[in-house]
Amino acid sequence: MQDRPDAAELAQAVREFIETEVLPGIDDPRLRFRTLVAANGLGILEREIALGAPLVRREVGSLARLLGHADPLPDDPGELRRRAVDLNRELAQRIRAGDTPEGALAHLVATVADKLRIASPRYLERYR
Amino acid sequence: MSVGAPPLSASTLSVELRDRLVPIFGADIAIEQLALLAGGASKEAWALDLRTPQGTRQLLVRRAGGGVIHQGTLTLEDEHRLLEVAAAAGVRVPMPCGYLGEIVGRPAFVSERVSGETIGRRIVQRPELADARAVLPAQMAEELAKIHAIPAERVPFLGGVGAHDVLGRLTNEVDHLEDAHPAIELGLAWARGRAPERNETVVLHGDLRVGNLAVTATGLGHVLDWEFGHRGDPAEDVAWPLVRAWRFGVDQLRLGGIGDVEPYLERYNALTGRHITLASLDYWEIVGNLKWAIGALTQSRRHLSGQQRSVELAVLGRLAAEMEFELLHLLERAA
Repeated sequence: MQDRPDAAELAQAVREFIETEVLPGIDDPRLRFRTLVAANGLGILEREIALGAPLVRREVGSLARLLGHADPLPDDPGELRRRAVDLNRELAQRIRAGDTPEGALAHLVATVADKLRIASPRYLERYR
Repeated sequence: MSVGAPPLSASTLSVELRDRLVPIFGADIAIEQLALLAGGASKEAWALDLRTPQGTRQLLVRRAGGGVIHQGTLTLEDEHRLLEVAAAAGVRVPMPCGYLGEIVGRPAFVSERVSGETIGRRIVQRPELADARAVLPAQMAEELAKIHAIPAERVPFLGGVGAHDVLGRLTNEVDHLEDAHPAIELGLAWARGRAPERNETVVLHGDLRVGNLAVTATGLGHVLDWEFGHRGDPAEDVAWPLVRAWRFGVDQLRLGGIGDVEPYLERYNALTGRHITLASLDYWEIVGNLKWAIGALTQSRRHLSGQQRSVELAVLGRLAAEMEFELLHLLERAA
């Protein structure tokens, strides 16, 4: 087990350093923009560390119901991610083949909203 | 932008550049200033101040970036030719001065350098641009009308045509991503099932929206960024600036965060004699969201593959979810 700071705290420390110490000294607009993008990338990482695991579990559960798979969800996080990749491929193939399962749109709205909770929570709020 | 292949220094570029400028501007010239500007993902843009016997010219050099040009993107030579043809058709473009061939290994052309605001967020927000926002919708319709009247035989290198071709290209791009994207598949399936029959085909700008216009206090100065020029359904171009990503946060104004759609569409139809409907714009707005969602994922692959390492491209891969969400929102509304 690593000592603190944990992964999220470390990402946060780097993001805060960029925002408070690096950004104010940058005049070049191109470099400034990319520095903001970099800080945003660390924000995504912080949220993924905090929220990512339960959201993947929720996505896999919803995909399994949608596609009619009854097998239990794996506990191992790596296994769960592989299952998510496989089930998303199966869903994409069924849609491509003209065999879109009932409820696909509602499932996708909920799942993409979960992606935005990590990638861009403020964007999601614009739909409220 | 690229970490793997840093941009050339101005001094390295200027020696070859000056040689290439002589046939256009004569031998009595000197590069007074050459500086890399903020540019797009795949091109460099250099501000060039060139001393000539007639005085100093404010010029812009567009030069290919590090990555391989992707599907559907014009070469610098064709982009320059399209600019020439558009200028002759009376479209407000930065006046092209000449194609330069390869400069230090990459193709480039030179044009007039125009002033005006190009940053989308500022155009939709800044108080001093309020008068410009009032006239921009009609001016965008006017420029689109002129572009769509360009004779296709003047630009035979333009590819494309029709909704099925657009969807075919997008499907091909999705298949080049290694992972599956069911939200995008759902959008593609919806769009295939409702694709309009190929009717009229015109020359399209391909990326005319807030963010690709130089805007002054009095309105539209110039139409920029012609690299996605192609032929196709005129409604594809008319609907593109409606896509939510190009409203820069002013979501309630469906036309680029600056205005309502109806007066813009009426102006376009009045100028062209076409009868593009709001329903047709709804269709092409959904296709536009598909285009930009797939575009963002494809751009992030340029980073992931090592073709062009860039934090900006990397994060774009995550932001594709924004376009997916808007796509699903529009599909729900259309259902």
